[in-house]
Amino acid sequence: MKKLIFLLGSALIVSSFCVLRAQETAATRSVWDGVFTEEQAKRGEEVYHKQCASCHGDMLTGGESAPALTGGGFQANWNGLTLGDLFERIRKTMPQTKPNTLTRQQNADVLAFMLSINKFPAGKTELYRQAEMLKEIRFETKKPADKN
Amino acid sequence: MFSRIVKKGSMEFVCLAVLVSLIPAIASAQYQPRDTEWPSYAADTAGTRYRPLDQINASNFNDLEIAWRIKTDSFGDRPEYKLEGTPLMVNGVLYATAGSRRAVIALDPETGELLWIHGEHEGKRGGAAPRQLSGRGLAYWSDGKDERIFYVTPGFRLICLDAKTGQRVPSFGENGIVDLKLNDDQTISAWNNGQWVPDLDTGEIGIQSAPVVAKDTVIIGAAFREGMTPRSMRNNKGYVRGFDVRTGKRLWIFHTIPNKGEFGYETWDKGSAEYTGNTGVWTQISVDQQLGLVYLPVESPTSDFYGGHRPGNNLFGEALVCVDLKTGVRKWSFQLVHHPLWDMDISSAPILADITVDGKPVKAVAQPSKQGFLYVFDRVTGKPIWPIPEKPVEVGNVPGEWYSPTQPIPSKPPAYSRNGVSIDDLIDFTPALREQAKEIASKYHLGPVFTPPTVSKLEGPLGTLTMGTASGGTNWPGGSYDPETHIAYLYACNSCIEPIGLVEAPKEVSDLRYIAGVAGREVQIMRGPGENAGADSPKPPKKRPASQYVRLEVDGLPLVKPPYGTITAINLDKGEIVWQIAHGETPDVVRNSEVLKGMNIPRTGQETYNIGTLVTKSLVIAGEGQVTTTADHPRGAMLRAYDKATGKEVGAVYMPAPQSGSPMTYMIHGKQYIVVAVSGGPYSGEYIAYTLPSAGE
Repeated sequence: MKKLIFLLGSALIVSSFCVLRAQETAATRSVWDGVFTEEQAKRGEEVYHKQCASCHGDMLTGGESAPALTGGGFQANWNGLTLGDLFERIRKTMPQTKPNTLTRQQNADVLAFMLSINKFPAGKTELYRQAEMLKEIRFETKKPADKN
Repeated sequence: MFSRIVKKGSMEFVCLAVLVSLIPAIASAQYQPRDTEWPSYAADTAGTRYRPLDQINASNFNDLEIAWRIKTDSFGDRPEYKLEGTPLMVNGVLYATAGSRRAVIALDPETGELLWIHGEHEGKRGGAAPRQLSGRGLAYWSDGKDERIFYVTPGFRLICLDAKTGQRVPSFGENGIVDLKLNDDQTISAWNNGQWVPDLDTGEIGIQSAPVVAKDTVIIGAAFREGMTPRSMRNNKGYVRGFDVRTGKRLWIFHTIPNKGEFGYETWDKGSAEYTGNTGVWTQISVDQQLGLVYLPVESPTSDFYGGHRPGNNLFGEALVCVDLKTGVRKWSFQLVHHPLWDMDISSAPILADITVDGKPVKAVAQPSKQGFLYVFDRVTGKPIWPIPEKPVEVGNVPGEWYSPTQPIPSKPPAYSRNGVSIDDLIDFTPALREQAKEIASKYHLGPVFTPPTVSKLEGPLGTLTMGTASGGTNWPGGSYDPETHIAYLYACNSCIEPIGLVEAPKEVSDLRYIAGVAGREVQIMRGPGENAGADSPKPPKKRPASQYVRLEVDGLPLVKPPYGTITAINLDKGEIVWQIAHGETPDVVRNSEVLKGMNIPRTGQETYNIGTLVTKSLVIAGEGQVTTTADHPRGAMLRAYDKATGKEVGAVYMPAPQSGSPMTYMIHGKQYIVVAVSGGPYSGEYIAYTLPSAGE
């Protein structure tokens, strides 16, 4: 019995370690790591102009009724959170008149477009369409020193 | 309709609970609000946002802790991220609008426990409303016996509730409802298949501000969609009406666009008063109940930035109008902006102030504005306290436009926020940043207040770069006023830049000759919450690389120099600024800027247009409108308190999200509370109540 407890305990410690390692690995990814592609952002731009621009503005600068999706205020709002949080906010509540009507792909594309306008770098792989995967990418407004 | 009494599931219990606290009021013949309560949206109908409470003061503000909090996610079929309400607290109950349903909730003001909830399911009409979400609040009325709550639904119905139960009052209107789309001296209509036809569902009109109750009259204005890119020069008109609080009967109406034969009709050339719409009163109305006078802050006519289809001065667009409380008859008016072209809607409650000027007592009204002027009048006669001379302004050259050659500009007090853009206003942390800013600004037409919009051209100008227009200066939260010291406190956005360019409107988009837009870009109709973005949407845009987006910022920093947002104290006896401070932590984007590394930059304040202030016996209190993450606090915003005599900060407490509705205060059972609405970005709406730790803790 003691042996079993020891084994279970060891397994728990190892698995906890693995989880921690995974989190550590995940925690190293951010919007500065090229997490979307230029092509995806272009697709997102088309969706944005059809579904979002009437409230958030042609330039993403917002209006009386909707906040800006670029600039210091927007970035501060999301700084320290994850792309999963931002994706879920879009998925659950936007467009305001008919929330949850865009496909996951469309939401991911719009998010890619927003990142591109906010001058985060494009990369070689597209954004995930799953919130749980996007939660592994931090939204960081400050460019890490090693990305300079 | 749904109304639920939730406390203990027993209606009798709730009625009893509320009635107990009513006993003092019933004993008196007429309900008299106490200064420990907050019985009206702005504390009173004078627009002061003032309560003479001092338990929470400079010595203990930092000790504030959360007494209770209530998320509003469940008060509607989706969460709301734009909670703008200010609750009421009267007779021991706190009332507020909440959630995307614009439900009304009654709470225990000491614990936040839900007493009852009321909501209206409006279907298509609610979904098509121009002003949705929870709105800014409600109104309370009592004769010492009955207690009633009034609010307006997104679909523009005035609802009268029994304050004890949350049930509609059957004797008011039709089963507790007055349909505000009816009996409005016009047929509310909409564009359907190219025809302007009566339509109660989609006919554009609504309101998001709180009703005002004065004596036995409830007064309702009107609001519309954003007016930068309207489909048509024709729209419904934003008349103001007074209703009997007992029966819902319409007592009077004031035509904000005069009918033929009425004063001001002649200011609309070529019959333009017949078809022009908007010109509503979408913000808070103030009332002097002793004088029996109502002060109406009127917005812009159709459309915000192009007035070529409405030649003339356009009364009562952007005018402050005083009408009789009993009849709605105009007593006086003063147009702050002739022939409006800048979206300088009069955006906040007129402040009624009994002041002393040159040794003489004066009943005054002070009107804050987007353009950073505080216009001060004798509120009986309408005569300016200090001269407001007509001064020549630039006349533009947009084809078909009509220009007023002069505009009224107050001689006192001085402007309390920026209302134009010059090179000197541009960012100047370093010479290089200034040069980059000048390069961006060179694409635009610059000038002082009332510099008119331009046609947008690819070769330049792209438009007029303005401040103190659509979102500048003081917006809907308005100011505060201390009746003891005669000082007004005004938050202002001091950096809210608005580029105003005009493009020819494609016929399939609008029948106006020009609407807001930028040369070389697809015309984009700007819509408010609730408008179906799918219907009649413009053709798909031409593809263009993201690099073509011109951003009005330099290296991620604001284009103009700080302070980005301010609070100003103005002595109304003298018409002079007493102090001005930057309000709000320096934004992350500035504090973390690589370009500014090593520089010592004083607090800049924040670029936010919707901050409201609260004044108590000793403090001015206001939250921040942006999230920051600093060494002193995790990501969030601070509710700050300033010594009202000096502007010196004396305390701050943490909020998880920006202030999105103006703070209020009350005292009950010996404890003072401050309640503020927070929301935005990832954080859905929440009311948070702060109080001091209990003795012994």
